[in-house]
Amino acid sequence: MKAKSLSDLLKKGDRIAVSNITGREASKVSEDSQKYCGNIVAGWALGKGGQKLETSRGKIPVFATFEELMKSMKTKKKAPNKVIIYSPPSAVYGDVKAVVNHGAKCIETIFIITEHVAIEVTAKIRFLCQEAGIDVIGCNTLGIINGHDKVRVGAVGGSTPQDTFVPGSVTVISNSGNMVNTIASYIKSSGMGTAFGISSGKDTLILTPLKDLLALALKDPTTKLIVLYIEPGGVYEHEALAMLKKCKATKPLIVYVAGSIAERYDISLGHAGAVVEGGQTTASAKVAAFSEYFGGEPFDTEKNYKPTDKLKTQLKRGILVKTLHDFPRAVEMVATVLDIKRDLSVTSPLQLNPWFVKLDELGKILPPELALGPGTIPKPYSDQIKQYTQLGASFGRQKMRNTSHASSNDGVTPRIYGYPVSDIMQSCSFSSSIILSWTGELPENPFEEKLVEMALIAALTNGPGTISAQGTKLSTSAGNSPNMAMVGTLATIGTVHGGNGAKAVNYLLKIFGQRDFKDPYDTNLNVKSIAHKVAEDFKKKKMAAKEAAIEYAKIPCLGHPVFRNDPVNYDPREQIISNYIKEKGKVNIFLEFYHHLVVALKENGSMPKVMAVNVDAAIACVWLGVCWRHLKAKRMTVERIRDIPFLAFALGRVAGGAAEYLDHQDFGTQMDMRIPVSECKELTKPRDLEI
Amino acid sequence: MPEFITEYTFLTQFAKRYNIPVPRQIDGTASRKKIKEALDEWGGEAIVKPDILTGKRGKAGAIEHVKSPQEALAAVKRISGMEIRGRNPRTAYLVEVIPSQLEAYTAITYNSSMLQPSFTLSLEGGMDIEEVPEEKKMTRSVDIFKGLDAYQISEMLEKLKCPQKLISSFSRAVVSLWDMFISTGMQTIEINPWRITPSGQAFACDFKATVDSANFKAKVPGLELPDYPDSSSSFEEEMSAWNESSHQGQAHVSDLGGDKILPILFGGGASTIITETLETAGGSPMFLSDFGGNPPYERMLGTAKICFKHRLADAKLLLILGGKANNTFIDITFQAIADALIHQVRELGTINIPVVVGRGGPRLVKGLLALKQALEYLQLPYIIFGPDTPVTMVAEYAAKLSNAVTAYQEENA
Repeated sequence: MKAKSLSDLLKKGDRIAVSNITGREASKVSEDSQKYCGNIVAGWALGKGGQKLETSRGKIPVFATFEELMKSMKTKKKAPNKVIIYSPPSAVYGDVKAVVNHGAKCIETIFIITEHVAIEVTAKIRFLCQEAGIDVIGCNTLGIINGHDKVRVGAVGGSTPQDTFVPGSVTVISNSGNMVNTIASYIKSSGMGTAFGISSGKDTLILTPLKDLLALALKDPTTKLIVLYIEPGGVYEHEALAMLKKCKATKPLIVYVAGSIAERYDISLGHAGAVVEGGQTTASAKVAAFSEYFGGEPFDTEKNYKPTDKLKTQLKRGILVKTLHDFPRAVEMVATVLDIKRDLSVTSPLQLNPWFVKLDELGKILPPELALGPGTIPKPYSDQIKQYTQLGASFGRQKMRNTSHASSNDGVTPRIYGYPVSDIMQSCSFSSSIILSWTGELPENPFEEKLVEMALIAALTNGPGTISAQGTKLSTSAGNSPNMAMVGTLATIGTVHGGNGAKAVNYLLKIFGQRDFKDPYDTNLNVKSIAHKVAEDFKKKKMAAKEAAIEYAKIPCLGHPVFRNDPVNYDPREQIISNYIKEKGKVNIFLEFYHHLVVALKENGSMPKVMAVNVDAAIACVWLGVCWRHLKAKRMTVERIRDIPFLAFALGRVAGGAAEYLDHQDFGTQMDMRIPVSECKELTKPRDLEI
Repeated sequence: MPEFITEYTFLTQFAKRYNIPVPRQIDGTASRKKIKEALDEWGGEAIVKPDILTGKRGKAGAIEHVKSPQEALAAVKRISGMEIRGRNPRTAYLVEVIPSQLEAYTAITYNSSMLQPSFTLSLEGGMDIEEVPEEKKMTRSVDIFKGLDAYQISEMLEKLKCPQKLISSFSRAVVSLWDMFISTGMQTIEINPWRITPSGQAFACDFKATVDSANFKAKVPGLELPDYPDSSSSFEEEMSAWNESSHQGQAHVSDLGGDKILPILFGGGASTIITETLETAGGSPMFLSDFGGNPPYERMLGTAKICFKHRLADAKLLLILGGKANNTFIDITFQAIADALIHQVRELGTINIPVVVGRGGPRLVKGLLALKQALEYLQLPYIIFGPDTPVTMVAEYAAKLSNAVTAYQEENA
């Protein structure tokens, strides 16, 4: 073996080259690794030369071949000294051969992540690399992490290795990559961090066998304890024990052997090499070999271990554990008896800690030890859960080029969210169809359907003077076709004209988003007191802003350009909607809140009059009511409900704009929207240009 | 994964192609006339063996020495209908009895100590190689590029004191064996015994081998491997076919015969430990499962649907458990499981079993919340653990919970 220490396998300053770096797994792991330690210098992938892999630490250059990659490195100091192979099984041999041919003077270690590499190829790789003086970890390894140097190759530790691997005294060597991560996270509770986490690989031939890894761990100054996770297959452990006996090793091993089930059921386990090497390869033979070497019983959680000389002598060889969750207590016991310093403070012992429990009726029939209540969710998960439990859904992203949830067409019928358009045409109103198209579900009742219809009608027009109507008329006057005239309508609505609904939704979600009510038409919610509190907050902020002579945040959708001079003002279109809700014996909590708010603002002196709640607010409140159940059930994003009121306004107004187009087309004269020069005012004095 | 090659396939197809001397043989389904003719040619006797897809020892009682056509036909009938280690033979066949001056043992395998192929030879054939004294057997490494040559084999035979006149032809036969091993992507091959006649001719008389299905050479052109009765359940068969349909993620199941816990387990290591813990704690897992390898949504959905379709109706508890994943996106896998569960519950009408969940890894919270939402929608009681609770503790808890539920149901039945 070329490596003389564990840090020779991986240390700070090592430079990694990644094969097939643009692949699904390699690119994801490379991004995470760069974020964690930034040790990848380049990658290669056939047919992808010249590309770059974007990461948080900059772009990783991608070459077509390893030869090109090495040629691009101007000095040996910049060239990679480690290679990680993510190629498909059939390409692994070729990639290793390329590394041997073009990188033998630089490359010290090759980590082969690929699964399902033929055993013949593995044997050939071993032969080639031994000749070239290159160490190979794998095949089918997950990689290695160096806890003290905070560097890794491969996916050990997932996307946040720092959560699990804090620098410490334990080296974990495991056939299973997952168990490196899992065991390291468990033993933290015993006050021990990780020196190295090593996934040895789990194929039949493990090219850096346990005896070599253990020999390095024995020499490693940061490693005080060695934890092993062992599976059936091969004679690696027997060889390792022979080596330990020969060198009279005194670093304690804590060992778990899995896989006895394979013997009971005559089944192959994923990791078990089917080598005709006799009974030595079974889990029970490995347990027997370790028991014989340790010379004591497996760790017993009930036993009181007294630090006698005999026990110390035994523990310097090590101890078996019978189950995975005994690791922390066994590590703690060994560290105590052998006086090994803790790396961290000891936390509470591992225990059942449910994060979410809902046993309902079952809980009543269970004995107390099984009827568990919710425990404490640790950080950072508790913070993440708060984010996720906020209102609205958060969907995974995917390529949407040829897919849609909103529509489909199987060649027989087009569908809207699964419903055939032909059925919708026969049994649903236009407003119901719009609700389906925008929310994914039909309205729950005719009440919501009617409200949406009223909101659409209210948006149709506010007279020819509105800028959206003007936009249509200007376009028509210029001789444009109907579609351009409608674009004229749409081009002249925006965040101020028509887009206020989005602001209203934002405002209402800040107030109601965290409140635990499911029914937006619930008459029992005391919105009056909420409105008064909001009004008081507004008053304080307004006064403070005036004091500081700065702008203050206005409440969206209050006031109307026409209906604004009475002591109490109303927008008639909003009133129609409100009155309909009242007639039905219901409230819309959001609109009700607005009504109480304008009164409270007048009462506390923030406003001189009771301002009108305008139609934009009404449209926003109607749609927020329709969408509330979807937001609560996380079937809809908050972004969608912010957009919908604006879309509803635009839909109504573009139909109203169409009416303006038809009217202007029939009765208007060409260019009649032009403003005569005589009516235009000059704001800049004429100046002469010197030629 | 290694796959078995049966002796009958070796005798009838591989041996001829690679020029390995073997005894004459005839299929037990041949006509009485042909069997009689064969026996007449072979000196009136034969060995009847089952043609069965297993490489394990333990065919004792299923091999019979017969000395007449009547005995042969009766033995074929009896052996064809036997169940051997839970499997049924495809048929039985007859092989010629080879008189021998010497019996030898050979094996070629990939050796976990040498990390390359090794060749083992003994002149104490017919015995279990582990029982042969060290001084009477030899193992040497084989150069994976150069292979095994007649000189190396002769040298070993000399050292084992093989009679001179037998060395040459036996060495040539073993070279042919290596040719077959390396040309067909084999992983292990054992001939025990070679029977070497007084005239010095070696015959391969008992054959066990596995091929490495990951090796492209395993698909040998022109070979027609027969179909063997499969002891797999329809669940195992469907999952196996599904697993082979894609390289994305893995989906392995092995029936264990349990009747309480339906385990959806992740990671080869963790799934083994969890299943062992369930067994020890009396959880009676229905099968051993190993899912993972960061499957895309569609793969995990299909995998979970197969599990639920076959086993959910009979389960007393659903366990979804894995260690702290390094690379598998929990939101994607758990959303797929949730969707598959909803799909199957709709098929079944209604179920009321507790669901125990434990997992860690990338995008965990999103995954747990997606599953929790589905369980609430289905109104199933649940308890969900994070990575701070060891998988073995969760497995012990699940086993106890399944027992408590079963006991309550039995009391109130």
